Amino acid sequence: MSSRASSTLCSALCALILLVLPLTAQQRLASDFEIAQMEKQLAGSRDFQAQLSGRLNLGDVRAARNEPSLARAEYAKALELAERERVDARRASSLTRYANATSYAALAQAKLGRDAAAFALLEEAARYVSDDAETWNLYASAMRLLGHPRKAVSAARNAVAVAKKPLDLAVQQHALATALVDAGDDREAERLLVTVTEALRSPAFAELREEAAEREAFEVYTTARGDVAAYVSLLNRAQLRLAALYEKRGAAAEARVQYTRVLEGRTDDVTALAGLARLAPNEAEAARLYRDAFQANPFSPALIREYRKNPVAPATDMQRALVHLERGELRAARAIFDALLAKFPANETLLSLRRESESGNAALPSPTPSANELRALVNAFERLTPEQRTALDRATFASVVTFDGEPGNTFASGTIDGVAFRFSEPTIFNGTFATTARLTYRILGIGEGDALLLEPLGLEALP
Amino acid sequence: MKRVFLMALFALPSFAQVLTDTPHGVVVAHDARIEWAGRSVPGVEHATFITADADRAVVLDALNNEAVIADLARGTAQRLRTAETPIAAIFANRELYILARDARVLQHVGGEDTPLDADPSHLAQAGGRVFVYSRTAGVLREIGGEKVEVPPFASDFEIAGEQFFLTYPREGKVVIGRIGPIGQIGRPIGPMSPIRPIRPTTLNIGSVPTDLAFAGGGTALTARILAVADPSAKRVWLAESTQSTTEAVARGFLRGLLGLGLFGGRASQFPTGVDRVETRGKVWIAYDSSTRTLYHFTRKQSTVLARGVAPGAFALTEDGVAWWDGTSVAQKRLR
Repeated sequence: MSSRASSTLCSALCALILLVLPLTAQQRLASDFEIAQMEKQLAGSRDFQAQLSGRLNLGDVRAARNEPSLARAEYAKALELAERERVDARRASSLTRYANATSYAALAQAKLGRDAAAFALLEEAARYVSDDAETWNLYASAMRLLGHPRKAVSAARNAVAVAKKPLDLAVQQHALATALVDAGDDREAERLLVTVTEALRSPAFAELREEAAEREAFEVYTTARGDVAAYVSLLNRAQLRLAALYEKRGAAAEARVQYTRVLEGRTDDVTALAGLARLAPNEAEAARLYRDAFQANPFSPALIREYRKNPVAPATDMQRALVHLERGELRAARAIFDALLAKFPANETLLSLRRESESGNAALPSPTPSANELRALVNAFERLTPEQRTALDRATFASVVTFDGEPGNTFASGTIDGVAFRFSEPTIFNGTFATTARLTYRILGIGEGDALLLEPLGLEALP
Repeated sequence: MKRVFLMALFALPSFAQVLTDTPHGVVVAHDARIEWAGRSVPGVEHATFITADADRAVVLDALNNEAVIADLARGTAQRLRTAETPIAAIFANRELYILARDARVLQHVGGEDTPLDADPSHLAQAGGRVFVYSRTAGVLREIGGEKVEVPPFASDFEIAGEQFFLTYPREGKVVIGRIGPIGQIGRPIGPMSPIRPIRPTTLNIGSVPTDLAFAGGGTALTARILAVADPSAKRVWLAESTQSTTEAVARGFLRGLLGLGLFGGRASQFPTGVDRVETRGKVWIAYDSSTRTLYHFTRKQSTVLARGVAPGAFALTEDGVAWWDGTSVAQKRLR
């Protein structure tokens, strides 16, 4: 490089490199406290790189909490920062700085879903610094975000070709593997990820590993700043991706090894916990792992989807709510969602589940109601119109019931085809009855534990 | 500064407009249409590139891997699916070639595709010969001919006469090579390869030479004059392209690098750094991608033609310049 050029370009080259790592499906949930801490740090930082990485990370954290509006607001702030930096860098005749800011403006545009704008900016950046691995890494990340995996693969191959330092090379190989997975080329991706994970765990990276341990660095970033943060994040992501590929092709033992290695670095990694839960040898082990995963991030859409397919014994409020939802016990599910929403009012996952737990318009059961009719009444009891309430008060119903307790003449509660009911107080009937009998009753309301509150009118033994 | 920043933020550009000049008038692609001379045909969703010959214009959508060829005389259009990321196209001897960068292939429409090296980024032609520069691989390949290694990571590639030019922003240089006399297609690869570097191969021009055009010269008596956009210096440099020894001897003298900004002195030639330059005869224009400002310039002054112009949404015409102003084609006579 000529002296003229170097004087213009070196300031940006000396800046810390931001390494953008592809986001995995599930992240540990950042608490409100952690977000407040990140915002506080942002308020105290002045330089472009710190501000930008902070905004992008905050956006990703918000996205992981399924808070898209708040995530978009952070990405818009990142775009604003990058655009301002572009203009400032250009006025200062610092073209590498300009290219770097242009790449990040493109990434922010991609996170906002604006593909044409992102593409134009990426092309602009590549004109100036096509020899820069970070530029191609950002290109690949943006194309992945926008759903263009083949373009991402191509950009990532360029990044690998021009990467110089071992850590940079590992980052770029991981980005390429990620893009290859998106493009459906699992075999090349797996080979690359084996290379990356083995390299990162090799003596060549001992120094970074020790530094990470000394600093107790375990945070996983999507936009990592500095070598230690990049190393920690990259090792986490690469092992998760490799595990997922192993799992996909049925190599359960190999997958478990990778998930376990992830947990060695960070015990509350949601993806690893969920992965091990899927591969657990028994239900008790699966239940324990799902509990840990839900404690780490109860709002991960991927985790929720997965758990609803396999709802083993619930241990957290979110799990209990999901089990209620799966059973059609909407009222019980709503109660839990409402309690969680009081703590996380902007959480889109909760809002979506809460909407799902809403029942349709209420309808009165037939004189000999089915379980579904009774469950629908429980779910929508508050929606009854005054006219429906009056009609319900007057109506009598008859069902075959199963009382709790022993045969006799005094009963307090039971079920109608699986739907719980209770009387306002234990009732003594004339005669002696088996626990299964035909009950004639009125419906008074909904009692504790979402049980129907019934007024018994008569009881007869079954033939 | 604040004003500039606000402009950048709120004059949010639409990126998907491209424009070119043809014998049938200015052709513009925007909002999924291709329009010219009162005619309109369906276009592509994101118009990222346009080029034309006498009767046809081709519009590319690099994002969606699509091309539309408009027959300018008949007013019809043909839609093509391309390989991954068509970034450029060229008509050579009435044949259409589309450069699909991320597929690493040059598609010859109606003919055979040519596989290419890593990151084929630039396409040019000379006398019907088609050349592709692969940026990260550092390879210049003639389609149907041979390839040579050249320095990688150039930002622009141009051909004029028997010479090719590559600009290198980081190194502050322009590399010049020779493609050989027209008509040598098919010669064997070897020491007499038609593509070969000439000496001297490098010109140091400006701080960050980004884009290059030709501003005259190139006759039997004069060397070609290069116009080189340097956004760092906020100038367009004029430089005489280096001659081969044979040429220099033939002319009886060897001209050196002029290497001066057009206006001389310390003042910036443009208020902002321009990174694109285009010439057609004696009409010269420059463009600043960061502020999306289009300039007209002469040896004595630069003037703003338009602001908020998308990259690619301007073109030189027979007697001036045309650009897309957001709603219609604006034209200004400059000659």
